[in-house]
Amino acid sequence: MNKQMVWAIAEKDIRGITKNSQVWIGMILLPVLFAVLVPIGFILVIKYMPSLSPEMEQMVNKIISGIGNEEMKQELMSLPSMTHQMIFVVVNYLLGSIFLMIPCLNAMMIALNSFVGEKERGTLETLLFSPVTLKELFVGKILSAFIPAMGISLLSFLLFGTITTILTYPMFDEFIFPNSNWLVMIFWLIPIITIFTILVNILVSARAKGFQEAQQIGGIVVLPIIGLFIGQATGLLIISPVMLFAIGAVLLIANAGILKLITKYNDRNMLFTKQI
Amino acid sequence: MPKMESMCYTNFEVMNVQDRGRITVSVPFIESENVSKDFNGQRVLQNVSFSIDEGEVVGLLGPNGSGKTTMIRLLNGVINPSSGKMRVGDYNPEKNADDIRSMSGILTDGAGLYQEMTGLENLVFFSKLYKAYDLKRIKLLLEEFGLAEAQYKNVGKYSTGMKRRLGMIKAILHKPKLLFLDEPTNGLDPEGIQMVLKYIKALNQQEGTTVLLCSHILHQLEHVCSRYLFLQQGQIIESGTLKELEKKRVNIIELKVETGLPVSAGEFGFPAAAAGENVYRFTLPDRSDITPLIQRIAAKAPVYHVEIENRDLESLYFQIRGGKNE
Ligand SMILES: Nc1ncnc2c1ncn2[C@@H]1O[C@H](COP(=O)(O)OP(=O)(O)O)[C@@H](O)[C@H]1O
Ligand SMILES: [Mg+2]
Repeated sequence: MNKQMVWAIAEKDIRGITKNSQVWIGMILLPVLFAVLVPIGFILVIKYMPSLSPEMEQMVNKIISGIGNEEMKQELMSLPSMTHQMIFVVVNYLLGSIFLMIPCLNAMMIALNSFVGEKERGTLETLLFSPVTLKELFVGKILSAFIPAMGISLLSFLLFGTITTILTYPMFDEFIFPNSNWLVMIFWLIPIITIFTILVNILVSARAKGFQEAQQIGGIVVLPIIGLFIGQATGLLIISPVMLFAIGAVLLIANAGILKLITKYNDRNMLFTKQI
Repeated sequence: MPKMESMCYTNFEVMNVQDRGRITVSVPFIESENVSKDFNGQRVLQNVSFSIDEGEVVGLLGPNGSGKTTMIRLLNGVINPSSGKMRVGDYNPEKNADDIRSMSGILTDGAGLYQEMTGLENLVFFSKLYKAYDLKRIKLLLEEFGLAEAQYKNVGKYSTGMKRRLGMIKAILHKPKLLFLDEPTNGLDPEGIQMVLKYIKALNQQEGTTVLLCSHILHQLEHVCSRYLFLQQGQIIESGTLKELEKKRVNIIELKVETGLPVSAGEFGFPAAAAGENVYRFTLPDRSDITPLIQRIAAKAPVYHVEIENRDLESLYFQIRGGKNE
């Protein structure tokens, strides 16, 4: 594998992101929404308008009862007030799960565009006519989605942390963020889920003829995250470090499987014929 | 116009045509043997066989849809044949196509450039894909092809001619041994055509680059190609040098003569017709009839211009295609 070729492709595509409004608007919008507006909104509402959130209280009770780890449960129960408990749960459980939307949606949008974009511009032919091997081409495409998607996730994590700390430290007199959920997420699950999303969507992108078609199929990846969010809200599936680690491990194995699939079914002939 | 001197970048041994003529036993550089290709049950190429020697410029000619582009794709291994065998250099396009693509350059019909990137960015990117990043060379080629000023503009803003020239630079960045050119003159004005063809010729003469040029536009090609393959409905219906084709296909000579005074064309013993003011077209059975005819005309009136009309590529092409259809 020639590194210079791989980087040439990755670099070209990363630069190209700034020229694709559909992609970069998402890259800004998602962090603003899930790392800034939503946490500020939740925390402020709970803090200053507790009467507005009786359902929230119900939900928080469900979550607390759903937490398997006794130590964690005790710690939560010992918080000085219901408001404290609610904020802690929202920051570390509810928003934690929905935060996964940032890496997933970003990785999806970039990866979907990877091959479809080349097809729509008529440049895939040129790439396939060059001495680049398919492996180099795919690795370049994967990097071009992983670097920006992971970068945005890390930035969002810092943004989220700063904002919640500013809002919660005066109340709690301690750092409630990041708890172990967050640490497992950012250093284990998010990199793996980002690669998973990229691989699935690159596979779709290589096969689909247009962006619309690709989006419809590739978008399915987001559904489990919404499921995870609903799982928190209903108390049915409460995230814990062990569980997040397990999800990551399963996805890691899935990644290996998809990689095999990609190398097996994407030969040059197929890619070339699918573009026309 | 490109400056041809600066193309002598390597001390590549230039083989001229005469030298090559003397080599009697040589292995062709490219070989295609009974290659057929079907798309969804439809036959697009049918038993295509030909060979190309190193250093040749071969024109693959044929109307739209005759299968020229498909042939280039097959030779580059981006699609596989339904049957038949091919070889490019030491490589089999079905197995080691990456090696073929490394040593060859290609200009595709659509040029395949990134519209939202500048000309320079495009070339830097492709030079890396071809493991030949050399900014100096890129700048030099931009200069030669008259794109020095436009290099910082987005390719989307280029004219067809500029895109084609940028595509040419992209194709030769890595000094390929072999060049595939698909419709290199399509959509160009006469000046653009001349420029591109002149460059191809110079590249072939100075670097010994082997060229396979596909085209349905024959204008001026006879100055560049040393040999032709005529493709029609996926079959090679004729091939040879211009001379060979002429010998085979041209059995009458249409001679256009421009004189200084009106003459009565019928009196020279050959069928004749007026073709303009003091211009006459004679139909002769053989080339040996030309000299006596001209001598007789010259005795009556000054002769300004004599030209065999039906020996150029275009008339040959139509004759070959016509012959096939009959
Ligand atoms: N991928 C493909 N699928 C189906 N038909 C194709 C494909 N590529 C080319 N063809 C058909 O093959 C024929 C030859 O095409 P092509 O090689 O592009 O001709 P040319 O380059 O001489 O104009 C055309 O009829 C075209 O429609
Ligand atoms: Mg064509």
